[in-house]
Amino acid sequence: MAMYPMTAEQLNEMIVNKEPFFLFDVRNESDFADWKIEGENISYLNVPYFELIDGVEPVLDRLPNNQKIVVVCAKEGSSKLVAEMLVEKGLEVFYLKGGMKAWSEYLYPVIAYEDDDMKVYQFIRVGKGCLSYMVISGKEALIVDPSRFIDVYKQVAEKENVTITHIVDSHLHADHISGGYELAKQTGAKYYLMKSEGAVFEFEPLENHDRIEFEKVSLEVLAIKTPGHTPGSVSFFVNNKLLFSGDTIFVSGLGRPDLGGKAREWAKDLYDTVYNKVAQIADDVIVLPAHYANFDEEVNEKGYIGNTLGNIRQMNEIMQGKTEEEFVEHVAQSASAETPPNFEDIIAINRGVKEATPEQQQELEIGPNRCAVHHTH
Amino acid sequence: MKADQVLDAKGLACPMPIVRTKKAMDGLQSGQVLEIHVTDKGAKNDLSAWAKSAGHEMIQMAEEGDVLKFWIRKG
Repeated sequence: MAMYPMTAEQLNEMIVNKEPFFLFDVRNESDFADWKIEGENISYLNVPYFELIDGVEPVLDRLPNNQKIVVVCAKEGSSKLVAEMLVEKGLEVFYLKGGMKAWSEYLYPVIAYEDDDMKVYQFIRVGKGCLSYMVISGKEALIVDPSRFIDVYKQVAEKENVTITHIVDSHLHADHISGGYELAKQTGAKYYLMKSEGAVFEFEPLENHDRIEFEKVSLEVLAIKTPGHTPGSVSFFVNNKLLFSGDTIFVSGLGRPDLGGKAREWAKDLYDTVYNKVAQIADDVIVLPAHYANFDEEVNEKGYIGNTLGNIRQMNEIMQGKTEEEFVEHVAQSASAETPPNFEDIIAINRGVKEATPEQQQELEIGPNRCAVHHTH
Repeated sequence: MKADQVLDAKGLACPMPIVRTKKAMDGLQSGQVLEIHVTDKGAKNDLSAWAKSAGHEMIQMAEEGDVLKFWIRKG
């Protein structure tokens, strides 16, 4: 018997294929309760590694003998320790290479849309529920809400033989560090962000652009207040077909407007956006958000996270027939739960007012995203 | 804070800080205090949870630059 490393990519493949397996998470109980690997056919056991230092006997009868077992911890070390002990007891086990850190950093591309004018990749960051995009047309590409793993976008651009010429951030992200500035520096692309978000580095203010156009793409900047966590959130409406909604509209709900400490004021802006601005957009437009909460519930049959605006309106009662008062009350109440981990530091880094080493960035980003109104975990 | 023993676990990655702590604790008498120095940030939650589940008492925590210090009284 032996233990084998399993990469985040391999683990994700099992989840996407709905392959059943047994996840033995050896982190402490509060970390597990806060944030774990999720999938439709995963069975779980959580016993902290430090309760097994003297031996794994207490958990042996709680592990299956007919299922793949994957041991997971924060960074890999403890899962290997436990896996080794299980191997000595005659089990065959896998451990997650790089642990939850690697899981948090893994993202993969899927094609979300394609027609004669453009092709759109959605990059799914499974560990955090973050989504970013590449819109390709002719020889150029535009990136929406890039993560800090900018090599992933550069590789896809190279494979597609296109140049990244435009980068847009829909808002100042609170849950993850943007790769926008760095990617722009390395590719020479223009980086657009709302000036009102208060970034201190050089960028192209979205306030000066009603549209961004290249090749056969026309991206309309819906800058009439679509607030997410910050008052300067915008959405991008591409070729009248796709709505990149940032953290404003998700497949399963709305973004939380409370992170600036002005929940009610910003909830009114959100109401205005949903009931006046977005209400005028056709039902068959596909919404591509910056986040999702539950992969199994929000992924569609084509393998990406997104849905038509019509379907989303239908599934979310709060998006139609409510008065402003009812809306604000609902949003203010459900948004008051936990905040995204380290969100103040992350916002400061994304504004360019705080510096962080790659290792510090990694630490700050660990954990779940908590950007939607209805998130409960 | 007066400690009966000091354990230097700086530079060690998970799970070693706890493995060493546990070993050092095994050599102490009930009521004695172990002072632990670590640089692995993950140790913070883990040491508290471990101390609790093992019946020890986390008396104090401190952060000095990159070093996290813990004082645990053996139960």
